Amino acid sequence: MVLFMVMQQENLKSLLLALLLVAPGFSHAGDAGKGLSVFEEECGDCHAAKAGKNKKGPSLFGVVGRKAGTIADFGKYSDAMKNSGITWSRDKLDAYITHPKEVVSGGKMKYDGLAKASDRGDLLEFLAAQR
Amino acid sequence: MFQTITSLRCLATLAGGIGLWALQTLPAQAVPSFSRQTGQECATCHIGSFGPQLTPYGMKFKLEGYTESNGKGPLVPLSGMLVASSTHTSKDQSGDAGPHAGPNDNTVIQEVSGFLAGRLTDHLGSFTQVTYSGIERKVALDNLDLRFTQNLKLGDTETLVGVTLNNNPTVQDPFNTQPAWRFPYMGSELAPGPAAAPLLNGGLGQQVLGASLYGLWNDSIYAELGAYGGSSYDTLKAFNITKAIRLDGLSPYARIGYFKDLRKQAFGGGLVAMQSALKQDGTSRTDKYQDIGLDGWYQWLGNRQHIFTLHGSYLHEDQTRDASYDLGAAENRKGKLDRLDLGGSYHFDQSYGVTLGYFNINGDSDGGLYAPEPDSGSLNGSPNSNGWTVQADWTRFGKENSWGAPWANVRLGLQYTAYGKFNGASRDYDGSGRDASDNNTLFGFLWTAF
Repeated sequence: MVLFMVMQQENLKSLLLALLLVAPGFSHAGDAGKGLSVFEEECGDCHAAKAGKNKKGPSLFGVVGRKAGTIADFGKYSDAMKNSGITWSRDKLDAYITHPKEVVSGGKMKYDGLAKASDRGDLLEFLAAQR
Repeated sequence: MFQTITSLRCLATLAGGIGLWALQTLPAQAVPSFSRQTGQECATCHIGSFGPQLTPYGMKFKLEGYTESNGKGPLVPLSGMLVASSTHTSKDQSGDAGPHAGPNDNTVIQEVSGFLAGRLTDHLGSFTQVTYSGIERKVALDNLDLRFTQNLKLGDTETLVGVTLNNNPTVQDPFNTQPAWRFPYMGSELAPGPAAAPLLNGGLGQQVLGASLYGLWNDSIYAELGAYGGSSYDTLKAFNITKAIRLDGLSPYARIGYFKDLRKQAFGGGLVAMQSALKQDGTSRTDKYQDIGLDGWYQWLGNRQHIFTLHGSYLHEDQTRDASYDLGAAENRKGKLDRLDLGGSYHFDQSYGVTLGYFNINGDSDGGLYAPEPDSGSLNGSPNSNGWTVQADWTRFGKENSWGAPWANVRLGLQYTAYGKFNGASRDYDGSGRDASDNNTLFGFLWTAF
């Protein structure tokens, strides 16, 4: 009986997890290969994924886990970004890519946001691999 | 007397059909100093990794006055460019194709240019080109586009405003549908071209100086209003330019457009209008030209692996040729001229490109303006011409990980132009037995910038 209840709880957890994964706005585990394509479509004009290569925006090499506004030789951060206190966890990046202006009000990045959760998941998987 | 009439006719042909000259002085914009200044690779701003066909990013960079920088750019934004080309026409021309060329199969250093191109201050930028023409064998000021820009907020909406000072109407335009930057972006200067073109189609290039105020509202609505005045003989002489026209007063210029950058794709369209009057010696009256045009374009950019573009423009011109009529160089006081350009391109891997373009020039006949003359004239006095141009090209460098970036930039291209009608006819169009297809042109080029 106890085993049955434990199994029911596990099933419930799985069900809840599955619902969360398909819920709009949730960043699911992505595909890094597709993420490269999303990166080229959405980010590549202004950012490189190569270490030390800053373009209009800073390099996104090693961005996951990095403190915001800290690439030493990129001199174009906004004060808002430098003072945000953000460390780019996956969740924080996901929120930022969804609505940049809501996460860093006063930031310079001219980007309206990426609405599709699966695209963001793929992109984050690609960015996480850039280290 | 005969000589006078002939020279007036030549002048009228020059004024009314300056398109030939325009076609032969196609501008070429590919400037690595922009890349050095911004840290962006050429492919960010240019379809196919080489100028001048702009991506939406490149359009905005231009409108922002060439001032964007990664903070590490050179203090003086200098660049160079060299174009070598080879031209073959289906049939030899009746005379030499140029002052230092034979009647056919000419291989030349077509042009060598130096640029002051990029950010001068936070708000001031330049695209200034000085060119040595290997055809004319002289150095002269080519394109000039100086810009001052400022970002503003109108309510909550970002608005860019700017002023451009330039020497060629439409050279300041950010879209590749207007004459100065329309396909073909590189062309032969040693092959016959149609005699007629609307004046806005390059007829005022380098001969005038103009200023316009422009704005880009919400990254989508573009509007520009300005005017051009004729440059004096002494001013042009100082820049080694031969004075070819005399503008009467100021010529107003207006442009309005809409464009949308959706990152994976982009599209836009707009209207352009200009009114000009040209003076001629021997009469107090002028030739008046009213140009109005419509254009549109679409780009599928995707992840930049496969890029498709479509572009089209239509330009209508009303001419009131009082001066030419008085001088006997035109048979009719009034006439109209239309030009339609359609095209599309595909680029793979930002390196391999193919572009197809169609043009159609259609207008009222005038035996004075379009008189019989070997190769360049018209037997029936008609300006009508049409044809196709196809180009295949390969651009080795210009991508993010390219060798030698951003200094090494090379494009190799092969272009073929086929005429269905030339100066009014398909057969014996000039009265000297030349057919339109005799002007079909195979043009190969090596275009490098550094």
